[in-house]
Amino acid sequence: MPKRYAMSVDVGGTFTDFVLCDMDAGATVAFHKVLTDAERPARAVIAGWEELLAMAGASSDQVQYAVHSTTIVTNAIVARTGAKTGLLTTSGFRDVLEIGIEQIYDIYDLFAPYPPPLIPRHLRLEVPERVTRDGEVLQPLDEAAVRTQVDVLRTAGVRAIAVSLIHAYRNPDHERRIAAIVTEMAPEIAVSLSSRVAPVMGEYERTSTVAADAYVKPLLRHYVTDLLDHLRRLGYRRPLYLMLSSGGITTAEAAIEFPVRLLESGPAAGAFAASFYGQTTGNEHVLSFDMGGTTAKACLIARGRPGVAGMLEADRVHRFKPGSGLPIMAPTVALIEIGAGGGSIARVNELGLLSIGPESAEANPGPASYGLGGEQPTVTDANTLLGYLDPGYFLGGRMVLQPELAARAVGRFVGSGLNLSPTEAAWGIHATVNENMAQAARTHLIERNQDPRQVAMVAFGGAGPAHAVEVARILGIRRVIAPLGAGVASAIGALTAPMALPLVRSYMTLLDAADWDHVRALYDGMRDEAERAFAGVTGAESVRYGAALDMRFAGQYHELRVALPGGVPEREHVAELAAAFQAGYTAEYGRAPGGLPVEILNWHLTAELPGFAFNLAKEPRREADPNGARKGERAVYFRRPEPGYRPCPVYDRYGLNPGAAFAGPAIVEEREATVVIPPGCRVVVDGYRNLLMSLEQDGMAR
Amino acid sequence: MNVQMTDAAGFDPISLGIIWSRLIGIADDMWTTVLRTAVSTIIGAAQDFGCEILDAEGSSVAHSNRSMPVFNLVMPTVTRAVLARHPITTMREGDVYITNDPWLCAGHLDDIATITPVFHQGRVVAFTVTIAHASSIGGSLTSRTVREIYEEGLRIPILKLVEEGRRNETAWSFIQENVRTPDMVLTDIEAQLTANDLGGRRLVALLQEYDLPDLTTVAATIQAFSERAMRDAIRAIPDGSYESEVVTDGLDHPVRLRCRITVAGDEIAVDYAGSDPQSPRGGINCTLTYTKAHTVYPLKCLFSPSVPANEGTFRPFSIQAPAGSILNCSVPAPVGSRTRTGWHIHPLLFTALEPVVPERVQAGNGLMRSVHVYGQERDGHFFNAHFFVGGGRGASQGRDGIGRNCFPSSARNVSVEVFEARAPVLVRTRSLRPDSAGSGAWRGAFGHQLEFSSLPGYDEPVSFFLDPDRLRFPPRGLAGGQDGPLTEIRVNGRQLTPEEIGSGQLTLAAPADRLAVDVPGGAGYGRPADRDPALAEADRAAALVSANDSG
Repeated sequence: MPKRYAMSVDVGGTFTDFVLCDMDAGATVAFHKVLTDAERPARAVIAGWEELLAMAGASSDQVQYAVHSTTIVTNAIVARTGAKTGLLTTSGFRDVLEIGIEQIYDIYDLFAPYPPPLIPRHLRLEVPERVTRDGEVLQPLDEAAVRTQVDVLRTAGVRAIAVSLIHAYRNPDHERRIAAIVTEMAPEIAVSLSSRVAPVMGEYERTSTVAADAYVKPLLRHYVTDLLDHLRRLGYRRPLYLMLSSGGITTAEAAIEFPVRLLESGPAAGAFAASFYGQTTGNEHVLSFDMGGTTAKACLIARGRPGVAGMLEADRVHRFKPGSGLPIMAPTVALIEIGAGGGSIARVNELGLLSIGPESAEANPGPASYGLGGEQPTVTDANTLLGYLDPGYFLGGRMVLQPELAARAVGRFVGSGLNLSPTEAAWGIHATVNENMAQAARTHLIERNQDPRQVAMVAFGGAGPAHAVEVARILGIRRVIAPLGAGVASAIGALTAPMALPLVRSYMTLLDAADWDHVRALYDGMRDEAERAFAGVTGAESVRYGAALDMRFAGQYHELRVALPGGVPEREHVAELAAAFQAGYTAEYGRAPGGLPVEILNWHLTAELPGFAFNLAKEPRREADPNGARKGERAVYFRRPEPGYRPCPVYDRYGLNPGAAFAGPAIVEEREATVVIPPGCRVVVDGYRNLLMSLEQDGMAR
Repeated sequence: MNVQMTDAAGFDPISLGIIWSRLIGIADDMWTTVLRTAVSTIIGAAQDFGCEILDAEGSSVAHSNRSMPVFNLVMPTVTRAVLARHPITTMREGDVYITNDPWLCAGHLDDIATITPVFHQGRVVAFTVTIAHASSIGGSLTSRTVREIYEEGLRIPILKLVEEGRRNETAWSFIQENVRTPDMVLTDIEAQLTANDLGGRRLVALLQEYDLPDLTTVAATIQAFSERAMRDAIRAIPDGSYESEVVTDGLDHPVRLRCRITVAGDEIAVDYAGSDPQSPRGGINCTLTYTKAHTVYPLKCLFSPSVPANEGTFRPFSIQAPAGSILNCSVPAPVGSRTRTGWHIHPLLFTALEPVVPERVQAGNGLMRSVHVYGQERDGHFFNAHFFVGGGRGASQGRDGIGRNCFPSSARNVSVEVFEARAPVLVRTRSLRPDSAGSGAWRGAFGHQLEFSSLPGYDEPVSFFLDPDRLRFPPRGLAGGQDGPLTEIRVNGRQLTPEEIGSGQLTLAAPADRLAVDVPGGAGYGRPADRDPALAEADRAAALVSANDSG
């Protein structure tokens, strides 16, 4: 019988990663990595898919399961390459997107900028209609005006229309009617409704979300259709699954309905990878540290599950500061992201200080050492000069780095400005980017009341393992795991994720006065939606449902999520819900005001199916001596205990067998990433060929 | 933090960096707690509040990045006033102090400060302080008509709101009986206490973790760092004396503000001599505490925007204003609308310093506004909601004015949907106001146009309480840039004169009645003839600048 395979593909900003897994043996077969094709991402996916199958001697029809995570949605928003999009809104409110919340997010920065709206003013049009706070129609929808405005937008060449009407979260009828008119008049135009995408109170946040959804909808639909066409031609016959920001996977058909839910698709997959490695290495709490070409992300996974936030900000335009981006109301794995990656550009700023990123050289022209025309020094260039990267073995030797170009760029743009040698400047770049990442990760941990000393770091991303131990040292983390395949971890993570769909409906009511028949109807509607999304999925009959409610004391503006195991909240849960809310509130804030009624705002339902049962085979321990894997020695720069280059053994990751143990300084090379092990750090290779590193903490970082 | 702390006395730089960012993080947690547990639109939605950690001397150590700037700057004053009244040795664990005295606190009665001593190892090691704008403090609804502070509401002296964990019921009931929508006001004060408690607990945990007996060394170290950064920045600008003058609407007659800024070495002195005397009517007077805060805030923005602020940041500044002047008023001057004067300190200082730091200052600001509605819903309960809207900011050398903010406040606007949910009112328009930006090589940000009515079906008159600014004097251009427009207020299409606006109370009797408020945009920077034609064309294409407008 021919082997059955599972394939996972992760399209990142710089690289597209692949993992092929033998479904029967439960083991990864091969990894692969190609440069992302920014123009046509599907092209790189198809090319890498074919290359990887050829390497494994397999064919597309043996692939039984394909899962996909992608930054295509985020990139389209950040690079403003989405569709020309129009907005239809209630008369009087065409500028909601441009006015925003009107808050300065850095009180001392007179010039803190905001991102331009995704839809320019001339494409934001108004239609006469009005619904009140109670959902009553005050002014009926002027359908003739709708037709006129759709005509204007069609003539202007829009390919998508976002619809966001005042109080549509209370009464979606007018939005639905507009969708019907658009579909009738111009079926080629994609439509997104605020009452479907983000049925929550607050016109700016809701409009921002639906605008982003419409903006990327044609692009995602085209991409997924194109990709599926190609895969079909290669012989792949099964559905394609996509990873959602919330950390579940869903069918491609369901995903393209609400593309904005894919914004953090890749990072969500990465968090699942970290969770998986935490479990296989016996660590209860892990901090995933994912450093790629453009950004670094950190995510705390406490007790095996990443946190989920109800909102994220896309396209933060000012040094990744909260408030400088576009709010998107969609459930998202809670992580922190900063502009620090291998491609981050180093410069001497106006204060005469070294600053790194958030600008990135990305894949093209890339770091100076790529020799593709990049002149500014990047983190990768610094790492090359410090000896961390082997110029002849970048991407397993498929790309040759040119250290002399790196030295020139570092010397010219940084070293001379700071009066430092290229080596000192390179160390400055490496150390500064580490500090920046540690600072962001520390904030993330503190916000979650997590002591860094109690977590293990899982390092991945193309650049993660080269920086992980230093970042851990700054944070006071004592254990670092560099999993095998660290450079393709998001692709591995997607294989471990469950199939899950988060759904929400808004219905504001006092807990004591809820119309439970209405609640039942809301939940029936959500279950229908989940069933449609999972239609045709093997095992769909065993879907598990979990309900949660956003509750608050009446009059407050923020809610606490209260989980209710099981399918549907009912009248008999009232006392239980009130008690759970009181307990949660007291745990969060230390006290709860007495005598205030409790209000429910949003009603959630999560539908979940167990994902593909991904597993790794554990190998027995072998010899402790790593020398069989030793492929050479080179001079590598370390700061401690004494600054300077020192001879350092280089090991081949694929030759390091379970049980191997050694101490830094050492370099371990795999195709997708290089692990830098400074002096004072001890390494053991476990049964899954993960590198388990322990740091001696000197008390400095506490 | 992009700074190096090489001379951190007693701390290695990494630990100090961690502790410093943790302190800011604790203040941020306090801020989030208020936001999440408050119930009024002005605190829970518009975010008119601030949180800070101070050392045992009452010097500021860290504040939230989102805190109302002026609140951060008056918290040391109010905390030291508490210490003067209640020596530190008399404080007990579980005490909470309260006051809204405008001369000690944030300049008008609406801003209530709660001050919580934090105990560690049996003694006070710090204070957690929150100041928030109460949704009501009683008194007149029309700040423009009052003659003395006694008409403006309840003046709360420094007293213990909570004593060793027991609520001072006398104090609570005094507040309860003297404010509108008392449940809303008291729940918001609870939110302040919750935030202070949470901040105190987190702070003690931090001290325990680092085995620190108190905050003294940490505070002194980071204050010294911020102070040095500010002194370095001041030393980099030329010594000299820089003057300016602005004229504001005032009430019955215009008000003149004057300043002289003296830069000497690493210190700056600001003297407001020559500014008009305090106003006998309408709360447009500033207490000296408030004036000082609105002086050091823009100076911090100009000279040291990126280093975290604390007491040290502000030591190089000295500020004086003549007693009895509108910038240093005395009891019983009314002060409810002190932003009408205080927010003009920013353009005053920016204009004075334009010759020195032309690339950092901004032209005149259209200024944010609040529209307040108060009354009774048909079911009998009282509504009390504030609608905030930003004005456009002025342009700067090399860039158009930045809209999308309420500067110099850090509040956010109030969502139309949230506002309507809290009052029987319809917001019929909130959009950018075309032709509302002063032109120039760089134009101001656009202002807004608003239109309100009562909610059809409500059938009662609805009163709107406005306190408009820039009815007579527009935002001023810089370096040849043009002024912004004036505020326009119309009822049923007819523009009201400043005299007709009178008290600021405008009542819509019938659902068909309309109230329109046009908020000005910011002023321009540089000559309009020097504007990039492509930028001018983009504004016309967006229908924000009329085709016949030269800008």
